[in-house]
Amino acid sequence: MKKLLALLLCLMLALPVFALAEDVEITLWTYPIGSWGNQETVDALIADFNAAYPNIKVKVQFIDYQTGDDQVTTAIEAKTTPDIIFEGPERLVANWGAKGKMLDLTDLFETEAGKAIYETVAGSCKGADGKYYEYPLCMTTHCMVINKKAFEAADAMKYIDETTRTWTTEGFEAACRALTENGFCPVTGIVYCGGQGGDQGTRALVYNLYSGHFTNEGFTVYTMDSEENIKGLEKLQAMVAEGILADDPGIVAGDAISLFCNGTASMCFCWNAALDSNNRATLAENVEPYAVAFPSDDGVPALDGGIWGFGIFDNGDEAKAAAAKEFIKFMCNDDAQAPKSVYATGYFATRPMGDIYTGTEKEGNTAYDAFSPYFGGYYQIAPNWANQRTEWWNLLQRIFAGGNVAEEVAVYISKTNL
Amino acid sequence: MTAIPKNASSRPSKRAPEVDTTDHSVHALTPYRVISVVLLIVLTILFIFPLYWIITGSFKTQQAVNARVPVWFPVEPTIGNYERLFQKPAFLWLFNTVLLCAASMGLTCVSASMGGYALAKKNFRGRTFLFSLFVCAMALPKQVILIPLLKEMAFLKLHNTLWAVILPTVGWPFGVFLMKQFCEGIPNEMLEAARIDGAGEARTFIDIILPMIKPGIGALAIFTFITAWNDYFLQLIMLNDTDVLSISLGIAKLQSELSTDYGLIMAGAALGSIPIIIIFLLFQKFFTRGITMGAVKG
Amino acid sequence: MIMAQTAAISQGMKAARRRENIAAYIFMAPSLLFFLGFVVFPMGMCLVTSFFNYTMSDFSFVGLANYQEMFGDAIFIRALINTIIIVVVSVPITCMFSLWVASIIYKMRQVNTSFFRCVFYLPVVTGSVAVTVVWKWIFNNYTGVLNYLAKNLGLIAKNVNWLGDPNTALWCIITILLTTSVGQPIVLYVSALANVDHSLVEAASVDGATSMQTFWRIKWPQIMPTTLYILVITTINSFQCFALIQLLTSGGPNNSTQTIMYYIYYEAFKLNRYGYGSAMGIILAIIIALFSAIQFRLAKTDNG
Repeated sequence: MKKLLALLLCLMLALPVFALAEDVEITLWTYPIGSWGNQETVDALIADFNAAYPNIKVKVQFIDYQTGDDQVTTAIEAKTTPDIIFEGPERLVANWGAKGKMLDLTDLFETEAGKAIYETVAGSCKGADGKYYEYPLCMTTHCMVINKKAFEAADAMKYIDETTRTWTTEGFEAACRALTENGFCPVTGIVYCGGQGGDQGTRALVYNLYSGHFTNEGFTVYTMDSEENIKGLEKLQAMVAEGILADDPGIVAGDAISLFCNGTASMCFCWNAALDSNNRATLAENVEPYAVAFPSDDGVPALDGGIWGFGIFDNGDEAKAAAAKEFIKFMCNDDAQAPKSVYATGYFATRPMGDIYTGTEKEGNTAYDAFSPYFGGYYQIAPNWANQRTEWWNLLQRIFAGGNVAEEVAVYISKTNL
Repeated sequence: MTAIPKNASSRPSKRAPEVDTTDHSVHALTPYRVISVVLLIVLTILFIFPLYWIITGSFKTQQAVNARVPVWFPVEPTIGNYERLFQKPAFLWLFNTVLLCAASMGLTCVSASMGGYALAKKNFRGRTFLFSLFVCAMALPKQVILIPLLKEMAFLKLHNTLWAVILPTVGWPFGVFLMKQFCEGIPNEMLEAARIDGAGEARTFIDIILPMIKPGIGALAIFTFITAWNDYFLQLIMLNDTDVLSISLGIAKLQSELSTDYGLIMAGAALGSIPIIIIFLLFQKFFTRGITMGAVKG
Repeated sequence: MIMAQTAAISQGMKAARRRENIAAYIFMAPSLLFFLGFVVFPMGMCLVTSFFNYTMSDFSFVGLANYQEMFGDAIFIRALINTIIIVVVSVPITCMFSLWVASIIYKMRQVNTSFFRCVFYLPVVTGSVAVTVVWKWIFNNYTGVLNYLAKNLGLIAKNVNWLGDPNTALWCIITILLTTSVGQPIVLYVSALANVDHSLVEAASVDGATSMQTFWRIKWPQIMPTTLYILVITTINSFQCFALIQLLTSGGPNNSTQTIMYYIYYEAFKLNRYGYGSAMGIILAIIIALFSAIQFRLAKTDNG
C-alpha cells in the first residue's frame, strides 16, 4: 500500500514533467558572443541541455553582426523570428523590446539566481515600460590593446601605469609620437570608422580623452556636444592631421583587429577578454598584446561594458515560450551549467559565481576582470540607438575628412536627440 | 528594346565571328592595331588577375594573406582555408544555388514560352494592355518592390525558403518579352495549316511552336541562369537560415565583424565561382549564342 | 454580349473569338500568375505604402509626407547624384570600351576571338559577390596589391586608402562595375560587327575610304541597334548595382558612395522605415522609366 502511494506520489510529481513531455522544437539565434558563435561549442552546450530536457529540441542559427540585424528585421517582418535570441540590451531591450516584439521575462528575475544578478546589470535589462526583455548571462568591459613589443621598442611603456593598466591623454599622445618615430609597426592606432560593430571602442576613446560622457546620467540624451567631447574629437583630428594616428573609413573593427594581430598597427581600440583568447592563434611573431584602459586626462577611465543574455520573441506560441524559458533557466541558473555557459563566452558572470578561468585554456581572461571597477554604466539603451550608431560613424568620417568639429557634432546631435 | 537589328534578325542563324576573308584589314599591321593588341593583352591580365587572386589566395596561409609585400604565388600552399570553409555547410550552399537557378530557369522557360506565344500569335482581349504592362515592368529595379515582396512571402509562408527567390525571378517579364519576339518570327501560314489539319491548341504548341523557338528557349535558359546566379539582392532579403543560404550569401557572410579572414573568403569565392566558370568554358558557344540571340530578339 | 445576339454569323464569330480568348488566357496563365503575383502586386503595394508612415510598430496614412521629406533629405540628394554619376560615367565608357575591344577582336582568328571574349566575360560568370570580395582585398589599404604596385611603380608616394577616401571610393566602385559589365556588350558587338554587310564595306574601300571612315560611315550605322540595346541594359544594370556598395563601403565614407538603391535598403532594413523606403523606390522607378523613355525615343527616331 505504502509502495503504491509512493508510486502515485512520484507520478503526480512527475506529471508536470509529462505535461511538457510533448516534443517541442525551439530555435535559438546567437550572435558570435565569445565561442557562442562556434558550432562545436554550442552543440556541446545544447547536448548538456538535452541530457536534462530530452523533449525540447533546439535548432541553432548562427548570425553575425554584419548582416544579423537585417536578418532579424526581415524575420520580424516575415514573422519568422526565432524563439530565443542571444545578444545585448541595446538590441533586445532598446530596439526589439521597445517595439513590442519581445516577451516579458520578469518571472525569470524572481528565481533564486535571478535575484542574485547585480543590480546595475538587471537594470540595463529592463525596458522603459518596466518589463525585462533580457535575461543576462555574462558581462565584460571593453578596453583597448597595445603591442607591448612595439611600445618597448619605442620606449613608450613608461607612459602606461602597469599596475592599473591605465594612462593619460598626454601619455597617449606622446606614445603615438614615439611609436611613429620608431616605426616598429607601420601605423600606431587606427580609428576605424567603416561602420558595423566595434563602435564602443571609438566612443570610449573619444569621451575618455577629456573625461566626457556619451549620454546624460539617465541615458536619455546624447551629450557628444559637451565641451569635453568636442575637445576629445579635436584632439583626435589633430593627431590624425599630424600623422601620429590613423583614421580609416574603409575598415571596420574586425579589420582593425586583424591589422593589430598581424603587426601592422601597434594598438587597437576594439578589444576585450574574448577577443584576446580568440585571436591568440593569429598573432604575428612581433606582436605581444597587452590590454590597457582608454587614456583619459585624469588617468581614471570610464569603460563601456557589454552585457549579453537571452531574450524571447513573442511568437504567440505558449508551449514554445515555456520551453524557451526552460532553456534559459538551464543555461543561466543551473549550478553546473551556468559556469560552462559563461566560460563559452570568455566573459564574466552577471551574478557572483567565483573564478571560472584559472587553470583553464582561457587563463588569460582573468586579467581582464581588473577592468571591471572602471565600468561606466550601460548607456547603450538610450533612445534612437540604432540610428545613433550609423550617425556616429558618419560623424567620425566627416571629422577625419577635415570637418569643423563643433559644426559636425551639432549635425550629429540634431539627428540623434529627437 | 525596340532596337531590333533588321539585318541581324533577317539572318538569325548567322553565327558570330566567322573569319572574314574579304576584309583586307585582317592582317594589316598598322601601328594602331599593334598598340591596340598590346593594350588588349594588358587588359587581359587585368581581367584574369582577380580570378587568379581568388584561387591563389584560397591556398595561402594567414601570414601570406596579410603580408604587406604581396605573395604572388602561395609558396607554402595550405588547404586550411578550405578546411575551415567546409566546417560550414558550403556544399549545401552551392547545391541550393544550383537548385534555385535550375528551378528558376525551368519555370521561366515553360511559362515564358507559353506566354510569349499567346502574346505573339493570339488575338485576345487585353493583349495590348498586358503587353505594355510587361514592357513597363521590365526596367523596374527589383529593389523597389522588396518590402511588399517580403511581406507577401511571409504571408505565403515562403520566406526563408528557396521559393521566395525563385518565384519573383520567374515573374520577371523579360522572358515573356523575349519569347514573344521569337514567336513573332513564326509564319502564320504554319499555324493556319496546323489548324486545318485539325491539330488542337496543345498539339500546335508542342509540335509546331516549340521546335521553332528552341534556340530562343536555350537563350532564355542561359540568361535566366546567369541572372539568378548573380541576384545577390533578392537572396539577401529572402534567405536567412544557414541551411538555405546561396553560395553568394554564404561568401558574403564569411566576412565577420571581428575578423577579416581573406584566405577563408577566397576559398568561398573559389568554391562559388569555379563550377560556373567551368560550365561557361565548356558551353562557351551556347553562352555566346544565347546572349546574342537574347539581344537580337529582345 | 447578350445584346449582340442578332445574327448567326456573328454568333459563330463570337464563339470562335471566345475560344481564342480562352486558349490565349490558358497559355498566358502561368506567366501571368507569376508576373501579377510577384511583380505587379508588390509594385502596387509599394505605391500604396509610400503614402504611409510604415515602420515596425506603426502604420498610419501620411499622404505625401514621405515624398516631401525625401527632397529635403541631404543624403537622398547625395545618393541621387551618386547614382546618376555612376550611370552617366559607366554607361558610355562601357559602350565605347566594348566597341573598341570588339572592333579589334572580331577580325582575329576564331580561337583568339573566343579567347578574348571569354576573358572579358569572366567577371560576369565569376559572380558579383566573389568579384567584389576579391577587389575589396586588392583595394585594401594595408595588404592590398594595388597600393603595393602603385607605390613600387612610383605612381603614389604613400598608401592610398582607395575605398576609405571619399575622393576615390566612388571611382573604385565604378571601375569594378565596369569590369563586370563589359562582358555582354563585347559579345554583342563582336557578333554585330561580323554581321555587317560586307558588300558596302568592300565598295567603300574600293572608293578609297580609310578604315576609320569605313567604320563610322558604314559599320557604325549598321550596329546602331545593338548599341541602343547595350545602352539600355547597361543603364538598368548600373542603376541596380547593389552588392558592390553593400559589401565594399556600405555607402560610406561619409555617404560618398551612397546610392539610391543602397539607401532604400538602409532605410528599410537598418532603420525599419518601410514607407519612406517605398517612396524612394517609386522615385527611382520613375527616374529609370525616364531614362528608358529617352532611349526608346532615340531608338525610334533612328529606326524610323
